Amino acid sequence: MSLSLHHLPEEILYHILSYCPPTTCAALNGTASYFHGVSNDPRLWRLYCQRSFQHWDPRHDLPLKLAGPVAAVAWKDLYVARHRVDRTTRHLLDGILAEQTGRMKKFRALVELGCDVKDTLLRNCAPESRQDDVLARTYYARALLNALHRNMAVPQWARLRRGEPVSLEQALGAFDLFLPESTFGGLEEISDRLNEIAGQIARADPEINHRTSRDKAKAVLAYLRGNGLTGMDGRREYLSIDHNFLGLALQDPGHNSLPLISAVLYCAVARRLGLDARPCGIPFHVYVTVVPAEGYDMDDNVLEAGAVGAALYLDPFRSPRETPVADLHSQLALLGASPAQQRIFLSGSRTAEIVLRCSQSISDSVNLQVQLPGVHLSAPVDLNSARYAALWASMLLLPASRSRERRDQLPWFLELFATEFPCDLYLVERHLAPLFVGTIEHEQILRCLHVIRAVDEIPRLVKRRTAEHSHIQYRVGEVFRHRRYGYTGIITGWDTECDAGERWMRRMGVDRLADGRHQSFYHVLVEDKSVRYVAEENITRIQPHEADLPPTLIAIAGKHFKRWDDDRCVFISNITDEYPDD
Amino acid sequence: MAANQTLTFQSSDGVDITVDRDVAERSLLIKNMLEDLGDAQEAIPIPNVNEAVLKKVIEWCSYHKNDPPSTGDDDDSRRKTTDIDEWDQKFMQVDQEMLFEIILAANYLDIKGLLDVGCKTVANMIKGKSPEEIRKTFNIQNDFTPEEEDQIRRENEWAEDR
Repeated sequence: MSLSLHHLPEEILYHILSYCPPTTCAALNGTASYFHGVSNDPRLWRLYCQRSFQHWDPRHDLPLKLAGPVAAVAWKDLYVARHRVDRTTRHLLDGILAEQTGRMKKFRALVELGCDVKDTLLRNCAPESRQDDVLARTYYARALLNALHRNMAVPQWARLRRGEPVSLEQALGAFDLFLPESTFGGLEEISDRLNEIAGQIARADPEINHRTSRDKAKAVLAYLRGNGLTGMDGRREYLSIDHNFLGLALQDPGHNSLPLISAVLYCAVARRLGLDARPCGIPFHVYVTVVPAEGYDMDDNVLEAGAVGAALYLDPFRSPRETPVADLHSQLALLGASPAQQRIFLSGSRTAEIVLRCSQSISDSVNLQVQLPGVHLSAPVDLNSARYAALWASMLLLPASRSRERRDQLPWFLELFATEFPCDLYLVERHLAPLFVGTIEHEQILRCLHVIRAVDEIPRLVKRRTAEHSHIQYRVGEVFRHRRYGYTGIITGWDTECDAGERWMRRMGVDRLADGRHQSFYHVLVEDKSVRYVAEENITRIQPHEADLPPTLIAIAGKHFKRWDDDRCVFISNITDEYPDD
Repeated sequence: MAANQTLTFQSSDGVDITVDRDVAERSLLIKNMLEDLGDAQEAIPIPNVNEAVLKKVIEWCSYHKNDPPSTGDDDDSRRKTTDIDEWDQKFMQVDQEMLFEIILAANYLDIKGLLDVGCKTVANMIKGKSPEEIRKTFNIQNDFTPEEEDQIRRENEWAEDR
């Protein structure tokens, strides 16, 4: 009898299977009983799990599973479950790309699968550029990834609102999760980075745990400032939007951050080294207070019964030294704070207060950025996403005493949500709507949700090009320059005449156009990411090459288009369910 | 320098083959043995490997004698690629019998590089095949009862879903 596969010992078969994809292993599993054992080897399936999937939902507790004995986990079952999630994700994404109706339910189903869908989405964010629907695929995979991140961020603030414990870095890191550009994949990456910094401090000073609280607090300050992890390069625009994000500050080589973020960073690291450090926000600045353990002072002397040790104040943003508490008192007194108010200020801020303050600061930065678009950013930050994050945070965390502010902000919130982030439908339903129950705004929110749902569920009116449409000059996918305003855009739809309602027409002066309201009008997507409605007489078709198209336009084109056709100089439509002839 | 020294192997079918010591030391088994015993004066018996296979193995070791030694980096999770370089691919163009003999010999003689190439070659032969195709390729008897087969098919259904 000649030698064959089943004469190989199990160790060698294991070796061979470690080079095979898991599906091949499953096939060998079904050939004969000899192979059944080795191809079910949990070591092999653990290997496949590690190799095939980078991102795991926290509910799997993967690090714990990997650290434990291999036989303690049903690795093959786990692999098969992840394989199924991958397939479901692909099918849902394909479904989203295939038709415009019914996308919301698919968004929800996908987001509810949690972090497990990330690998699949990331793969689709960078699909082969020759793929037929490369732009749409990238666009929706990114949009879903961002939605997934927001679905991790918002519950952090909701928990904070309910008074449940949320760590400072999670509460502040949640802002980063709103940023599509952030390469931080999740809150645990921020925690990992902070652990790393705390570890470096402990390694640099092996005696750190034997030092007094005061010396320890100073050592942390010296390390962070010495390594440029807190504070800001003085030449930078103070309110620049990127200075508001903990994750960006950790990630950026310059580590520029506002006092609030510097203070949070200090506290997060100091707490890891056993200190009770809290951000301490007073008007115009955020300090840090380090509170001694009960019954001790900062120099670790035992206090008499009932005595409370004095806290220590630091300013990680701008000072390598302790801040004398007397300075803070006099600052507060100057601002008109009573001694009782001063004590409250100086006892440290609650996490929710810090988040709110960060939210306010982000709003200020967004406004500044809109006014001064030239401000240099160390990292690109999408202003809509930043504003949306700030609005979510204040919606969830404004205290009852400031419910007026929440009501004032609601219209801004709803507009931004409906135009830019409608796939957050379920998030808004779950976390925002309940805040307004019993108020007149509740109706407004439900109406908004209803409209988004209706737009999503009602099949599009099919617009064919029949003889009566022969005068409509341009087609979906064509690129144009606006005759008067000069911007570049893509045509995403048309009407035989202006269909925007009397009020809009009057406001826009449509009747002052040479051809008035009875000319073709086009829905267009503009390079600044806005959506507009343009009269035919203002359209000049252009036929650029791919390289000459504004990158921002290519990035958003995927919302309606599959890819760019460089021969015909048009975007290929992905909305043929609505415009079958374009 | 031991570089010019030669050794003699005796194959399982009793043939003596002379090998340069640095070539022979691609085999960790031989290397460790020489370290334990000092110089081997007599032919070293290789009981599990016949002449044809032993010559093939020595051919591989001669070609690869200057490869950097295995770093002992046995991290399974990195073992991904089944790329095989061109010379090795040609070298492995042998019948199945010889392929498995080489793998067994590499395993016995503890020649990690050769074992890897052999295993990758087999992996490439299995990849993407159905159970039936694998049985055909390797002449494997299906010894499952119909009930067992049914159950296993259900267990592995996931792998066929697209």
